[in-house]
Amino acid sequence: MLIDLYYMPISPYCRSVQLTAHSLGVELNILHLDLLKNEHLQPEFLALNPQHTVPTFIDGDLVLWESRAICCYLVSAYGKDDSLYPKEPKKRAFVDRMLYFEMGTLGVSFSNMLFASMADESYSPTSSEIDKFHKALGYLEMFLKDHKWAAGSQLTVADLVLVATISGYVKGGLSLEKYPCILKWFKQCEEEIPGYKLLNEKGAEEAGTFYKQKLP
Amino acid sequence: MPLDLYFDAVSPPCRAVMLTCRALDLDVNMKHLDLRKGETKTPEFIAINPQHTLPTLVDGDLKIWESRAICTYLVSQYGKNDSLYPKDPTARVKVDRLLYFEMGTLYKRYAEVVYPVMRGETKEIVPAKLDALYEAMGWLEGYLAGHKWAAGDNITVADFVLVSSVQAFEVNKINLSKFKNIAQWLSNCKLQLKGYDDVCNQVMAMIKKLLEESYSNITLWKD
Repeated sequence: MLIDLYYMPISPYCRSVQLTAHSLGVELNILHLDLLKNEHLQPEFLALNPQHTVPTFIDGDLVLWESRAICCYLVSAYGKDDSLYPKEPKKRAFVDRMLYFEMGTLGVSFSNMLFASMADESYSPTSSEIDKFHKALGYLEMFLKDHKWAAGSQLTVADLVLVATISGYVKGGLSLEKYPCILKWFKQCEEEIPGYKLLNEKGAEEAGTFYKQKLP
Repeated sequence: MPLDLYFDAVSPPCRAVMLTCRALDLDVNMKHLDLRKGETKTPEFIAINPQHTLPTLVDGDLKIWESRAICTYLVSQYGKNDSLYPKDPTARVKVDRLLYFEMGTLYKRYAEVVYPVMRGETKEIVPAKLDALYEAMGWLEGYLAGHKWAAGDNITVADFVLVSSVQAFEVNKINLSKFKNIAQWLSNCKLQLKGYDDVCNQVMAMIKKLLEESYSNITLWKD
């Protein structure tokens, strides 16, 4: 039985789920929703997901949102092994830490600026907001110094989630010159993550274009 | 080997981890750092956690921060069974999605209402931001329907994480009469979560007093 995924290419949260499914050989039935046209506010979708967010994932009776939870679920339910989301508690804690970092520190420092500009055309990010974003990148730079992937020596869902987010920033004009470890990791992601070019490249470009419009 | 937990009980994420420790009957060295006095910004603490956030757990060679990751780690490593964080993928994801909801939506919207006023950036609460918090509470109200605890019929780490936030909303005078499921669940948490009184009641009373004395312009009340 196919798994349905309500999806918008601009959304890094959707792309991270796609990358995870692809790495596991899980086929998704992609259902496009354009949030910019308020397609997520249709009654049928609200009945499915009252939070009306994407990605929304339907696996039989299980209806899920929160992309990072979905990625972890996919590995646990469908992975032939646990390499993308190790079961060993200390290794898993490291992956989880990076997933929460991506949501609560890095992602939010950018999305606060983005949503403010979407709400108010006259908005310009303050220097303190820009600093906060670069501070978050600085932490990631530090975390990537000692190992190949975000949570250690193996590719995990933490990398898939982080690269879906960061690729949009890069396409949107973020220079990684000051962040050599992030740059090295990013190139590695482009080359080594299964399905990266097919599944992430175009969406990241669309996201980047959108970010440039909103935050010139 | 005992665990070291760096904490400040004014912080909801710290309380979530503390409730998890109590539920697991863990032997923990509690190391208090006062956030308001900048005690997390010492070189010694930054060497442990370069993000200098609380809570931070040290377990042998593992140094871990991000409260929700700590809660789930503690159950996985030390739980006698998996009831606080089920191993079955379908049961587990129902907990995980609430952990991410609490971080990315519920607590985030609360912070957006309250922090600008606490920091002196604005004098009053912005009504649209308060509406957004009530919207999130409405979603939580729906998620709690039909079962006693946040993720089903058993207590899980989702309850510890969510209650640490919702109790903060309560002392900020959120109108809980609009959310019957949340009010009932909160009451169950207060009565039944192990260590709730020690971990939460005293500090919440202190926070309530502080709010009344210094931040009387912060109220989450909405009819």
